[in-house]
Parts: sequence; structure tokens; C-alpha cells
Amino acid sequence: MKRLIQCFMLMGMLIFFNSVNAQDRTVSGTIVDQEDNQPLSGVSVVVKGSSTGTTTDANGRFTVRVPSGRSQLEISYAGYQKQTIGIDRGNNVNLKLARDLSELSEVQVVGYGVQKKSDLTGAISSIKGSDVTQIATQRVDQALQGRAAGVLVLNTDGQPGGNTTIRVRGMNSINGGNNALIVVDGLQGGNLNSLNPNDIESIEILKDASATAIYGAQGANGVVLITTKLGKRGKPIIGYNYTFGVSKLIKKLDVMNAADYAKTINASVMTRNGSGATPVPIFSDEEIAGYEKNGGTDWQDVIYRTAPMHNHELSVSGGSDNLKYLVSGGYLDQDGILVNSGYKRFSLRTNLLADINSWSQFGLNWAGSRENGNSPPYGSADISFLGNSVNVAPRWAPTEPIYDENGNYWVHRPGYGPSDTWNPLASAVEPKIDNNLVRNLLNAYVNFKILKGLSFKITGGANIENTNNEIYHNLKTYEGKQNTGLAVVTANTFRRFQNSNILTYEREINKHHFDVTAVAEQQYSKFKFSSIRASKFTVDQTGASDLGGAGLSVLSSDENERVLNSYLGRINYSYDDKYLVTASYRADGSSVFGQNNKWGYFPSASFAWRASQEEFISDLNIFSDLKLRASWGITGNQAITPYQTLARISSGANYPYNGTEGTELGFYIFNAANPNLKWESTEQTNVGIDFGLFNGRLNVTADYYYKKTTDLLMPRGLPGYTGFSSVIDNVGSIENKGFEFTISGDPMVGRLRWNSSLNISTNKNKVLDLGENDRIGYRTTKGGYSVNTPFMYLVEGEPFGQIYGFKYLGTWGSDKASEAAAWGQLPGDRHFEDVNNDGEINIKDLTVIGNSFPDFIFGWSNRFTYSNFDLSFLIQGSKGNDLFNMGRIRLESPGEGSSARLLDRWTPTNQDTDVPAFIDEKTREDAALESHVNIPDQRLSRWVEDASYVRLKNIQLGYNLPVSLTKRANIKSLRLFVSATNLITITDYTGYDPETSAYNGNDAQIGVDFSNYPQAKYYNIGLNLLF
Amino acid sequence: MKNIKSYHFLFIAVVLLAMSCKKLTEKPISFVEPQNFYTTPSQIEATFAGAMNRVWDYWGGYGYGMGNFIHDDQYDDGDLVIGNNHGSDLWSAHYAAILNLNSAIKAMNAGNLGSTATPEEVDLLMGQAKFIRAWNYFMLVRMFGALPLITEETEDPTTAEITRSPITDVYALIVSDFTEATEKLPRKWDEFPGRPTSGAAKGLLAKVYLTMATYPLKDESKFALAADLANQVIQEGDYSLVQDINNVFSIGTKYGPEMMWSLNSNYADINTDPQIYRPGLLDGWGDFRVQIEWEQAVPETPRKHAYVLTELDGKNYHDWESDQTPFIKKFMYDNQDDYNNYSSIMNMPIIRFADVLLIYAEAANKVNHGPTQAAVDAVNMIIDRANGYTTIAEHPLLTTGMTEADFDAAVIEERNQELCFEYDRWFDLVRKEILEEKTIPAFRVNFSTDDYLFPIPDADIELNKALEQNPGY
Repeated sequence: MKRLIQCFMLMGMLIFFNSVNAQDRTVSGTIVDQEDNQPLSGVSVVVKGSSTGTTTDANGRFTVRVPSGRSQLEISYAGYQKQTIGIDRGNNVNLKLARDLSELSEVQVVGYGVQKKSDLTGAISSIKGSDVTQIATQRVDQALQGRAAGVLVLNTDGQPGGNTTIRVRGMNSINGGNNALIVVDGLQGGNLNSLNPNDIESIEILKDASATAIYGAQGANGVVLITTKLGKRGKPIIGYNYTFGVSKLIKKLDVMNAADYAKTINASVMTRNGSGATPVPIFSDEEIAGYEKNGGTDWQDVIYRTAPMHNHELSVSGGSDNLKYLVSGGYLDQDGILVNSGYKRFSLRTNLLADINSWSQFGLNWAGSRENGNSPPYGSADISFLGNSVNVAPRWAPTEPIYDENGNYWVHRPGYGPSDTWNPLASAVEPKIDNNLVRNLLNAYVNFKILKGLSFKITGGANIENTNNEIYHNLKTYEGKQNTGLAVVTANTFRRFQNSNILTYEREINKHHFDVTAVAEQQYSKFKFSSIRASKFTVDQTGASDLGGAGLSVLSSDENERVLNSYLGRINYSYDDKYLVTASYRADGSSVFGQNNKWGYFPSASFAWRASQEEFISDLNIFSDLKLRASWGITGNQAITPYQTLARISSGANYPYNGTEGTELGFYIFNAANPNLKWESTEQTNVGIDFGLFNGRLNVTADYYYKKTTDLLMPRGLPGYTGFSSVIDNVGSIENKGFEFTISGDPMVGRLRWNSSLNISTNKNKVLDLGENDRIGYRTTKGGYSVNTPFMYLVEGEPFGQIYGFKYLGTWGSDKASEAAAWGQLPGDRHFEDVNNDGEINIKDLTVIGNSFPDFIFGWSNRFTYSNFDLSFLIQGSKGNDLFNMGRIRLESPGEGSSARLLDRWTPTNQDTDVPAFIDEKTREDAALESHVNIPDQRLSRWVEDASYVRLKNIQLGYNLPVSLTKRANIKSLRLFVSATNLITITDYTGYDPETSAYNGNDAQIGVDFSNYPQAKYYNIGLNLLF
Repeated sequence: MKNIKSYHFLFIAVVLLAMSCKKLTEKPISFVEPQNFYTTPSQIEATFAGAMNRVWDYWGGYGYGMGNFIHDDQYDDGDLVIGNNHGSDLWSAHYAAILNLNSAIKAMNAGNLGSTATPEEVDLLMGQAKFIRAWNYFMLVRMFGALPLITEETEDPTTAEITRSPITDVYALIVSDFTEATEKLPRKWDEFPGRPTSGAAKGLLAKVYLTMATYPLKDESKFALAADLANQVIQEGDYSLVQDINNVFSIGTKYGPEMMWSLNSNYADINTDPQIYRPGLLDGWGDFRVQIEWEQAVPETPRKHAYVLTELDGKNYHDWESDQTPFIKKFMYDNQDDYNNYSSIMNMPIIRFADVLLIYAEAANKVNHGPTQAAVDAVNMIIDRANGYTTIAEHPLLTTGMTEADFDAAVIEERNQELCFEYDRWFDLVRKEILEEKTIPAFRVNFSTDDYLFPIPDADIELNKALEQNPGY
């Protein structure tokens, strides 16, 4: 017995001494990705309870010294689920790490760095690269529509390669521009058009001050961060995507056929029987019978067509131990639905990331593209609408043929219809338009790891764009006829260089985590412009290719440059992963600011509480995540164009001072200097909440924000004796407030998986101060529509997008004949509202008749996967936006108009209509009424329509061929798909497209439909191939 | 492993120092700032063109200064209801021109031209600058009265304390400027017929003195100066009347012998659409109707039919189917191509020899307290030409036997009929204080002596509290 006890004591002592002797051991192993068994390098392996740790090497192997007494390793790696494993069983550990699908551990790109999504304190919307490739037109800006709360995307025209208007959280500026800052891989000032959507890894949209203040004087309108792809370590993956599509006009305007048109014109002409005149109908009965048979010309069919599109993409990506790369190229060839229009884009990209040694890396992203676009003029283009085919085609009488008997373009017969306008087909097909743009985006950087947690990155970037545009209107076009040939040749170069030097330091002490970033940055850009406008060509065929043959030419050129020097710093602090604080400060010195105000300062601070980490919340077992956030900050809008603060001598005031032939060059003082001019300033407060339920299967984000923008650039009046009428000064202010709500989740996760995301946003905008004006009108400058006085107004106390005019109440019924007579009108006449009740309808009755900005916008995207099939679709819409349908003014004009609504005009038997009657002059003469209606123009609520809409924007059905099939051909995967864009549009709007806006020079003018290139419907099929 | 090496820090320091190599001060590339301009004669001349361009739209062409003078008795519908901001576009246009001229004068005084111009060349430029500035101020002072007097010596007018200087001060500047112009300008520009000459300066200075001698200054000592200057122009013989009344306003005579200085136009910078003068019956737009009472008071002479359109196809305007008023014929000229191209290249005269003759007649009569032979001869040249060199009973020649008052009234009436539609009648009505009597009875109720001045524009009154508005507005 005693012997046994001694044995135990001896063993115990041995064991004890072994422990006390701190026999450290070495544990090693290999860590791979659970899905594809690829080794993972850089995985953090830490002995739990100690500070000893290491990371896996390129082969996924690690070796760690484990102090005695420790028995667990903590394994963590971004994007993968954390694991804690016991190492009692031996010194060799092999692990498979599972990917972490929960969004929380996702790393999100923020300004000048990355942050874990769980650590974010600001309002940022994130869009995956795969969502961006779904849209048929292959344009990144269009792909953002409906995908992020608070982001309004307007496709104001449908030209392939045309532009979209993107507004983040409303309009801040009147004259300073409202475009968000685009940052591609850290290089600021890029453009979304030229990017190949397949190159994009992710898009982040920074919305509140804590996210955007880090961009200082460029951040007030929001920031769109684009990150492009890089290969992963492993064998090269070759991808090829091909899409073929056709596009068509979504819907035609409802115009009459030739017979109805002829009868309507005759009816209108027969009303001209005043003063004893006897009118004669223009179309005879035989002619009308002939039109009944052959239908006449459908002019919309003449200028619109079904247009094909081809898109090819090829990419190679991969990586080795110390090099990751992506090379991709794309070719897009898209015809437009309007004849003689199209867009071609050729793009090439190389992204490289190389490890120079264990403490430095070198990266290079270069993307080049060449775009070629053309389209006949439309909308508010710088030519008369007489030669604008989109405007003229639906107006041309269907009784007119396209060609005459000699094969020349038909000239509209006089006496009816738009006889002063040009043949629509000639206006579309004859102009020769060739716009070319070559872009180079280059970003190179070197990353140094100096100490543990301290690294330094130097970046150098360049954005170089060359534009060469050539337009020739020949003698068969309206402009060409007026000017004996008109050529406009433009050449621009734009160069932008950026150097950012970023120092980051990360440190964790117990539960305190610090993340500090300091940046010194400089940017320089230069823009050069030259153009020739030549006319009076002797030879029409050579046109713009022989400018020497032009009798008259006007030359102009311009050049400007700007510099931005910046210093900024940011601290992210978190305690116990529960309490998060971010503070940032940026100083921007910009050359465009006035001499006395060269430097602007932009602070921000934000706080977040991850309540789900608190025990009392996590014990409830309801929330997978619960975060409350609040932020405040000040951002700026550089707003000022170069040299705007300086007085300038301008050319262009020529005058025949000498009294000889020709004019003498005249120079004059163009503007007064303002050395105090500075940036526009936006102060924004944001509160938000993020929470997740059902283990992360349902996530909700809601934000409320309030923004006030002050120091708006506005002209301040000067007394006339100074020789100036105004000087630009910082005098206006605007406020925006709104609410954003996003709910997303995976309602179904079984064999049929369903992922869905819905976002809704509202924005209420109010102009607070317009300087010494109480209102400013914005003219839409086309004559001939009787709207020469402005109807879009900015008014103090009212939002952007106000439409002013006269209230149209419809037509007078015959039961109201005596009431109408009191106004001097007959039944069937237009009935207006006497807003001020003074017994007269005149200019004093001008009032608000609509607003062009939406009450709310929403997007709902869904993705279904079932075995090898996938289906995704996006529905987006806008409610409450009105449009002034300017085209209807002449389309519904008696004696000229072709709209089918004229068939519904008021008659004693058809009284329930708002289209006024054709009342003959004799009846009016006989009535001899005294008129109290004096409406001077066509600013009527009759033309204001509700353009709210819901659209099935994208729908795509795909099928992945089974692996068993593809393996035989050595293909990794092959997916076939069919898709459609703009497939269904539900709207009451009668024009071509409820999103259109023809005048976009200033956001205050948005909301007028005047013959813009209509959007199209696309049907595509294609394949995605991976080798 | 990573050791912190000293060259890491050095590297960071170098990179940070390399920052801010670009300065934030802007240096414009495609234009110059005013302080760097006015350094060569052609830049100064370009300033003259630029200054005239500023006022061109309002006096020539469709923009029409006439709209502001519609209240005199020659135009139809001028009802003497002069609202706020009447003439404000002319105020802005003239001051914009003055701003540019002041800068040029200041630069020349500071010697900025340096060696690019000889002293004689600088004198020529200075003469032109002072001439144009004086004309601008002459128009302003007659329309608005006391003015903010902005000269090359005024520091930045956008920030300086500015008040209205009395009329005497303004006229002092005008007289000084025109006098300098008479000394420095040549009698003739061989290659540049459109430029101002010393004769034009003398003619305008004579007009200035004549205006100073009448309402509101009524400084009668100036009559002698006016007469003397006008006489100099007559004696120098550089200018003479065009013999045929129908040729006075024609393309061939735009720059002489009668026209002394005008608002110029040519095919590269047209005056206006000729359609504005023709009535609808002649396929025009009929924008400028003549007042019927005025036309009926003018005697039937060849001049009347050269200047006023009263008949078409033998029918008097009373019997026309539409637009039954007389129309301005003075600026119409016979060129169907120009008409079809919407291009009228007729100049708008500012001073012409007929005006100088009439100034002389009026001034000499006042100095002598009765018409002298020379005065009578001067005005009779006008009357004779108007009559086509025959005798017309309703339009007799004047004689030395007339009284001072009768002769004065006759000369004013002759100005009325000769210089019609040339922006001159309004100023005659004001300075002779006959606005009320010459207004047709229907509108006479709207008259008050406040009407002799246009209002200072609202924007100026609101933005500069030190400016006082003219009475009645």
C-alpha cells in the first residue's frame, strides 16, 4: 500500500515538475480552405491566453511554440469563421477553415483603408461586383440604380454610352455641381462609364459625414468607392463572357394614323370661318379614302429600329506565392434604337500585386479604354429642334411620305402640321457624328510594413483622357442647309495626377483597439480644350474632313489647371468590440479657393454601440447583430471653377470700330474679383441602426439624416455703376433630410435558396436662402413652344424641382355655359383656375403646378438558386416625381398636332375630356363675349404629368451546366443565361420614358421632357465560361 | 523579421517633403487679369472695341435704345408712364463701357505701354479713350441726372463709398474729356473711317455746351462756346451735307461726308433684322410705328418722304388694310439680298453735320439775341435740302428778321424734322422743357416734371443706400 502511494506521489511529482519545468512544445500544421482544399496563407494562429502566435506561410503551414500549460489555439482569418482548437491530442494539427457567410466579418472598403463591417460607425451602402454585371448595357452607373438606399440614379436619356445623373441624399448645391466623387482603387476623380463591370470586386457608397469627411472638400455630394478585382493564389483562371442582345423602343407615342389625321386637320381648318370667310378642307375625300387603305407613314417606325448588341469579355487571373494578377479585356458593340446611333467600347485592364520581400509590396492597376459613340442630335442639343429627329418624327403628318418621286427627302407640305420642320429621317441619318474618347487610368503603389502594426503606403496615380469629336451636318440636314454645311470639331485633353502617402498604425492593448491613419496627399489636374466651328463649305461630301474648304470658321480654345494639397488623419477606437468611436479631420488647400481663404478644414466624429455584444442583449438570443450609430461632420464642395475668384479680361466683344469690313477684336473686363470666395460647406448629422435576426438571416439597416449646406455659390448683385451686374459669392443655403431603410435576408436556405433585399429612401429638400433673390427661374431655351418664360423655379422655402404655371382644370361642360360666358369662354374651351380670385386669369395666377423630384424611391432585388438554376431580378421605382411633357404642347395643338388625344377632343357628345374643342370662329364672333382670360404662354398644368413608375429593371435566368459535363471538356464551369432589362414599366406617364430629363445643366431644371433619346428594352442571351 | 531601420524614417521624411510642390496661387493660362492687360496699343484698341460692344446691343439693332425713348412725340404709344427700372439696361451698358475705358486710361497714365508706343501714339489712343468715355457719360447725365462719377482715379468701385455727384461735376469731366479729344484726335483717319475724329469731338462738345446752356443747368455762358466750336467744324470743311436727301442714309454715305461718328455695323456684325422697319404689308414685322399726330404736323417735303413711310402703292396709311400708322423709313435701304438674309448694315449716327449746323444756328441766335446771317444760312442749308432745293410754302426758309424766340422755336422744330428717330428728340424736349406741350393731349395727363429724368435702377438703390432716387420714383 505504501509502495503504491509512493508511486503515485512520484508520478505526481514528475508530472508537476514537468509542468513547472515549462516544457514548451512546438505545434505545427496545415490550414486549408474547406471548400476547395487550397492552402490559406496569412492565417493567424495564436496560442489562446498568451501573446505567442504566428501566421501560416504560402503553403498554409505554420509552426508555433506553445508555452506549457496552454492547450488551445485560436485560428482567425478574414472571411473565414474563427476556430478555437485544442492541441492536447498531438503536435500536428491540420485544419479546414469554413468560409464565413455572415456579413459581419466582411471587410469593407472605406476611405483610405478598410474596416470590418462590424466596426463601421458611418452610413455606407455596399454593392457586390456580381450585381453590377447583370445589367444589359454594361454600364456601371446604370447598374447602381435601385441597389442602394439614398442613391437616386436618373437615366435621363437612353443613348448608348450616354450619361446618368447620380445623387446621393439629395441636392446640396445650386451652382457648384452635385456629382458624387468617384474613387477607383484610391484614385480620385474617375468616371463610371469606362469601367468594365466584370472588373469590379465591390462598390461602396459613402453617405454620411463620418464616411465622407475624410474626402474633405470633395466629399459633400457623397463618395462612390470602386475596388477592382485581383486574382487569387492558384492556377490561372480564364474567364470568358459573351452576351448578345437586341433592344427596342419601350413604347411609341400614341399618334393618329393618316386617315384620322387628315380628318382632324380638316376639322381644324373648317373652324376658320370668321369674318365671313369660307374655309376649304385641305384633304379631299379621295385622299382620305386612300389613307384609310394604306395607313400613311408611321414616322416613329421610320427612325427607331431593333438594335443588336455584342459584348465580349476575356480575363485571366491567378497568383503565385508572391504575385497576384488579373488581366482582362472587353469589347462592347452596341447599336442604338435610334437610327445612326451606336456605341463601341474597347477596354483593357491589368491589376498586379507583388510581394517584393517580406515587408514590402508593389501594386499596379492600369486600365485603358477607347470609346466611340455617335447619335443624331436630340433633347436640348445645341441645334434647333427643327432638325431634331426625336422631336420631329412623332409630329410629322402621317400623310407625308418619306421620299418624293425622285428619291429625295420629302419636304413637309405647307398649310398644316409642322411644315417648318425638317424631314425626320434626314435629320436622323444624315448627320455624321463621331465622338472618340481614350482613357488611361493608372494607379501604382508601394506598401511598406515598417513595424508590427505600422505600415506606410505611397501611391501615384494618373488619369489621362483624350477626346476627339467631330460632327458634320451636310446639306441634307436643317443645320447644314442654314449654314451651307456645319462642322464642329473638338479636341480636349484632361490630365489628373494624384499622390497619396498613407501611414497606418494598428494596435491592440487588452480590450482597446486603435486604428490610426494619417495621409498627406496632393492632386493636380489640367484641362485643355480647343474647338473649330466651320460653315459655308464649298464641297459638301468632304465636310469636316477638309476644314480648309470652309468659308467661315470660328476658333476657340481654353485651358485651366487646379491643385489640391491635403492633410488628413483618422482614429478608429473600439473598446471590447462593443463601443466604437471614429474621429477624422482633413485640411484641404485648393487653388480654386479665393486668395483669402485657401485652406478649408473638415472634421467629423461618430460613435457606435454594438449592443449585440452586451450580455443582456446576447442573452435574449434574438439579435445576431444590433448596432446603434450616430455621426456628425462637415464636408465641402470645391464648387468653384478654376480662376472664378479672379477678375478676367475676356475676348469675344468684337465690334466694327474701324468702320471697315470685318470686326475688330474686342476685349473687356468680364467679372469682378472675389478673393474671399470659398467652398460650399455641408454639415450632416446621421443616426442609424443595424440589426440582424434569425442568426443573420434577416438584416435591417435604417438611417435618418439631416444636412444643411451653406455658403452656396450664388451671384450677388452689384450696383450697375460698377460696370458689373453681379459677382459670385457664398450666399445661399439648402437643407436636405431623409430616411433610408434597407431590409435584406435569406428567406429560404434549403435546396431552393432565396436572397432578397429591399431598400426605400425619401429625401426632403428645401432651399433656405437664395441671397438677395427670393426666387430664381431657369429657362428651357427652345423657342417655338410658347414657354419662353421660365417655369422651373428655385424658391426660398421650397424644394428643388418646382414647376410653376397656370392651373388647368379641364374643359367647360355645356352645363356650365353661363359660368364660362362670364369669363368670355364657350363650352369646350379651356377652363383655368383663378388662383387669386380676382376675376381675371392672368400672370398673377401663376402657381406651383408640380415638382419633379420623387417623394420616395425604392429597389427590390431578389436572387433564387435551385440546383443548377439561378434566377435574379430587380424591381425599382420612383413615386411622386412629375414631368413637364413639353412635347405635348405641339403634339396636341389644333391644325398641327398628331396626337391621338385630339380624337378625344371635346364635342357636345363627348364632354368628359380635357382636350379642348375645335370651336369655329363664327360661333365665337356671334357670342361676342368679353374675355377675362389672358394666359400669355403654355406653362399649364395640363402638360404636367405624374411620372411615378415601377419597373422590372433586370431579370436574369441562368443555368450552370453540371460539373460532370464540363469536366469532360476541361472547363471549370459554363453558365448559360437569358436576361432582359427594362422589361416591364408600369407608369401613367404618356411620354416615352418617365425618367427622362432634357435640361440638366442645373439640377433646378431637371423635370422637363423635351425629345430626349428614349430608353430601350433589352433582351439578351449569353454565356459565362470559366477555364 | 522587421527591424525599424533608420532609412525607413529618412524615406518617409523625403516623401513628405516632396509634398506641396505645387503652389495654390492660380495663374490663369487662357486669359489675363486686368493688371496684366493694357500693355500694347492693340490691346488698348481692343478695349475700345470691347467698350463699344457693351453698348451696341442697346443703341443699335433689335435691342433698341428706342424702347427707352418711346415717350417722345415721334413714336406711337409713348404714354409718359415711366416705370421703375426704365432705362436700367442703358445704365448698366454705359457703365460697363466706362469701366473698361477707365482701366485703359489708368494704364496709359501709369505708362504701361512703355516702349510699345511713341508719345504721339499714346496721345492718339488717349484721345479716343477720352472721347468714348465722354460720350458715355453724356448719354448717362442727360438720362439720369446726378451720377456716380467713376473715373480712372476711383479705387475699386465694388467696395468704395460711392454717391451721386452733381450734374456740374459730371459735365466738368465730360467737357475736359471732349476737349482733350479735340486736341489729340486727327481730323481724318485714312484707313479707319469709323473712328472718332477731332471734328466729331468738336461737334459733340458743341452739343454738350448747348445742353449745359439749357435745362437743367441753364448756364447761358455756354452758348458762345457751343457756337464757336460748331463754327470751327463748319469752317474746317471736313464735313458737308449730302446733297440728295434720299442719299443721306445710304450704305455709300455711312462714313461721310455728312456722318461724323456712328454706331457702326457691317456684314460681320450686322445692325439688326431689316424686317423690324417694314410694315406687315411689305412683308416685315412692323415694330416701329410713328405717331400719327406727329406725322401730320410735319409739312409735305421730299425729306418727309425720305424719312417717313406714309404711302404704299399710292395709298395713304389711313387706307391700308392693316397697321394704319406711318412707319420709319429712314433706316430702310434697297437691298433685297440683305433683306432676305435678315442683315441690315445701316449705321446709327451719333453726330452728323446736319446736327452741327443746327447747333450753330441755335447757339448763335442765343448769343446774339437774334439770328445772325450765319445762323440763318446754316439752318437754311438744312431747310433747302429738305425741300429738294425748291420753295415749299409750308416749309419756308428762315430770315434774319425773325425774333430770337421765333427763330429758336423754328430751329428746334427743324431739329425735330431732320434728326427724327435718331435718339435726339427726347433730349431736345427735356432741355427746352417742352415735353408737356409736345405730348399728344391723350397722354398729357401723365406728365410731371419728374419725367425729365429716368429713375436710378432699383438694384443700385437697394445695394447702395447712399444713392438717392430721382424724384417721382
